[in-house]
Amino acid sequence: MARIDVSHVSFAYPSIQEKTLRDISFSVDQGAFIAVCGATGSGKSTLLRLLKREIAPLGQFEGEIRYNGVLRDEMSEREAAYKIGYVMQRPEQQIVTDKVWHELAFGLENMQVPQPVIARRIAEMAAYFDMESWFDKDVSTLSGGQKQLLNLASVMVMQPDVLILDEPTAQLDPIAASAFIATVQKLNRELGLTVIMTEHRLEEVIPICDKLLVISQGSVAAYGAPKEVVPRMLQDAALHSVMPSPSRLFQAVNGEGSCPLTVREGREYVSAWTNAQMRALPKEQETAHDKAALEMREVYFRYDRHGADVLRGLNATVYENEIYCVLGGNGSGKTTALTVAAGLNKPYSGMVRVFGKKIKEYHNQSLYRECLTMLPQDVQTVFLCNTVREELKDAEEGMALLPFDLKPYFDRHPYDLSGGEQQLVALAKVLATRPKLLLMDEPTKGIDAASKMKLIEILKALKQDGMTIVIVTHDVEFAALCADRCALFFRGNVISEGMPRAFFAQNSFYTTAISRMTRGIFDNAVTVEDAAHLCRVNGKARI
Amino acid sequence: MRAIERLNPIALTIYFLLVSGRVMFSNDPVLLCCSLMGALALHFALHGLTGWKTHGYTIALFVVMALMNPIFNHNGATVLFVMNDNPVTLEACLYGLSAAGMIVAVLYWFRAFSFVMTSDKLLYVFGGISPRLALLLSMTLRYVPLFGTQARKVSQAQKALGLYKEDNIVDSFKAGLRVFSVMVTWTLENGIITADSMTARGYGTGRRSRYSLFRWRTEDALFLILSLVLCALSAIFDRAVVYYPLLQIAPLTVRATIGYVAYGMLACMPVFICGKEAVKWRVLMYRM
Repeated sequence: MARIDVSHVSFAYPSIQEKTLRDISFSVDQGAFIAVCGATGSGKSTLLRLLKREIAPLGQFEGEIRYNGVLRDEMSEREAAYKIGYVMQRPEQQIVTDKVWHELAFGLENMQVPQPVIARRIAEMAAYFDMESWFDKDVSTLSGGQKQLLNLASVMVMQPDVLILDEPTAQLDPIAASAFIATVQKLNRELGLTVIMTEHRLEEVIPICDKLLVISQGSVAAYGAPKEVVPRMLQDAALHSVMPSPSRLFQAVNGEGSCPLTVREGREYVSAWTNAQMRALPKEQETAHDKAALEMREVYFRYDRHGADVLRGLNATVYENEIYCVLGGNGSGKTTALTVAAGLNKPYSGMVRVFGKKIKEYHNQSLYRECLTMLPQDVQTVFLCNTVREELKDAEEGMALLPFDLKPYFDRHPYDLSGGEQQLVALAKVLATRPKLLLMDEPTKGIDAASKMKLIEILKALKQDGMTIVIVTHDVEFAALCADRCALFFRGNVISEGMPRAFFAQNSFYTTAISRMTRGIFDNAVTVEDAAHLCRVNGKARI
Repeated sequence: MRAIERLNPIALTIYFLLVSGRVMFSNDPVLLCCSLMGALALHFALHGLTGWKTHGYTIALFVVMALMNPIFNHNGATVLFVMNDNPVTLEACLYGLSAAGMIVAVLYWFRAFSFVMTSDKLLYVFGGISPRLALLLSMTLRYVPLFGTQARKVSQAQKALGLYKEDNIVDSFKAGLRVFSVMVTWTLENGIITADSMTARGYGTGRRSRYSLFRWRTEDALFLILSLVLCALSAIFDRAVVYYPLLQIAPLTVRATIGYVAYGMLACMPVFICGKEAVKWRVLMYRM
């Protein structure tokens, strides 16, 4: 018996002529794990919100949504609220109360569950999610990953039958995101929970989902097992970059047979392509650098007098006209290093020079007026006005630098744009001062694969214009595609540094999926292009 | 967590109201000394021999308040000396000392209270009055630090973007205003998400129940009853003290002594509870 039936659903927002969703039909079996994908603005969020009655958007709705044969609108108020759990994108804003235990109890309090039952259920849930050590804590002291786990747990205490997740890992770093997806998978496997999830990190979700629902321009483009759907989607230009890298490699070499989806399958696939004609790609040539754009020598920094050092004798040099990517785990001090370089935090020992001049010697904010600028992690903090037009009033030069027309967004509120669009507008604003040095903190957080590709193009063009760019990121694939040099950060210091191919070939975890896939088969293959090139040169082994 | 912090928040709140309220409505120097001793002992039991800076400020406050009364209040029969044609009397001096002592004692009680009563305990107490109020408080407690952090983030981001054009006060004030105005938008925007998250979890579908981590135990009940009885005893056997025009203290009777002992015990209860636990630990460790 099907658990959820969606038949002929169309939807239009009140002020917009065009329908956001058109004639969508699909059904979800009990206990299935469904991944929903599609480009930004394809209507996948709208579809998920329609599934949850309490937060369904207002507008013209046609069609039927049934849970266990009961119409969505005919379910009792209680049942509709508790049987369908919903987790949203922003971890911070979904949390209602100030303490972890109170947040867990919130939904049950609304259900009027008696106190002893609440105590039992939240104890169970805290143990299941391994939350005991932070059970009494203030919500504000949790990390982003913990906050999102708390949101999941506080939905799960109500014992829902269906769990809907709308890009739950968009604001998390890759490690926290993997942990979160693993938890969702565990819930699906162990409790038989039906899961419907949109996600832009498809590489991780595709191998574990039962079915993939692809939404394109408001209608269902494909619905089926990933093995069948992925090869078809690879033909679609808009969705190509969203697909996992093993499958993209498969397509790049015009593969036949079954399409690899995971790193393991990818390894098997690649090993058929070697007859030792050419094993390694040449390493990039070290270009001669003469002038340093940013120099940090023996920098020590801590946030308060009695706290631990966050930066411990940091030494780093960024040369003019290069893209320098800093990778590293959570809490290794990457972001702090960036704020110190931007002069927002002052080190208690050591020296920071920007274009050969100490930060102290830039008087009267001239550092920010002519020299460097920083794009923070939370791009919402960049916006001060009510429309994009006002926001970009003095940013003509910044817009001129971008190869995109931002005019279509002019009348919208910056907060209403999607993650990728916000990033572009913020970038235009940041570039208005024509900085020589651009510092970026996690520019790929919360943006989809297509926007990421756009961003890489822009950064490369900016570099052509003579800009120096420092990027702090968790996103290994992104760094592999755009960096001139990469650095690995650990415990407040740079541990290793190098050109991307050499750098990623050395790392075994902090590296791209392609590098992991081709390890021991090819050397120095980091991107899909690299691996495809090697495959083509070698040709398929005759067995 | 110390023994005193484990007590039921309602019992604790009532205790602190009684012990500080009793001394506020009395001008008996003996009672005052008992109260001050109890409060100081509790402070040291909770924090150890630290916080000398605050002790210093408190002593300064005590001195200023004690001097204030005789300078401005000229009631009293016994003139000590004349300053600027105004008599400074012994009674005014004594009253000043007593009033300043009372304020300092109450200050120490409140300090201990705010240390012991964490936000979730306060919430439990208010939740007893109204669950809605409790939720509102909890959401406020969550929102205030969130607002602060976000405002700091916005301000830093804007600084790096060159919003602050020059290093002067007028300019940074203007920029601060803009940051504040965008924070209002941010609050409303994020409030929508929070509201969605609340309705998605069934808020507003009916009456709510209330969950809290605190329970009533026998010890809590005993603690509460004992506090009430001791406070009542000390209030009944009150010893009358009149400062003006002449210092008059009622004779020390058996009844008055009972009152003192009762209040003394009341003031020492938290220290006793903490001390008992410390001794127990020592004994347990010794046996191991």
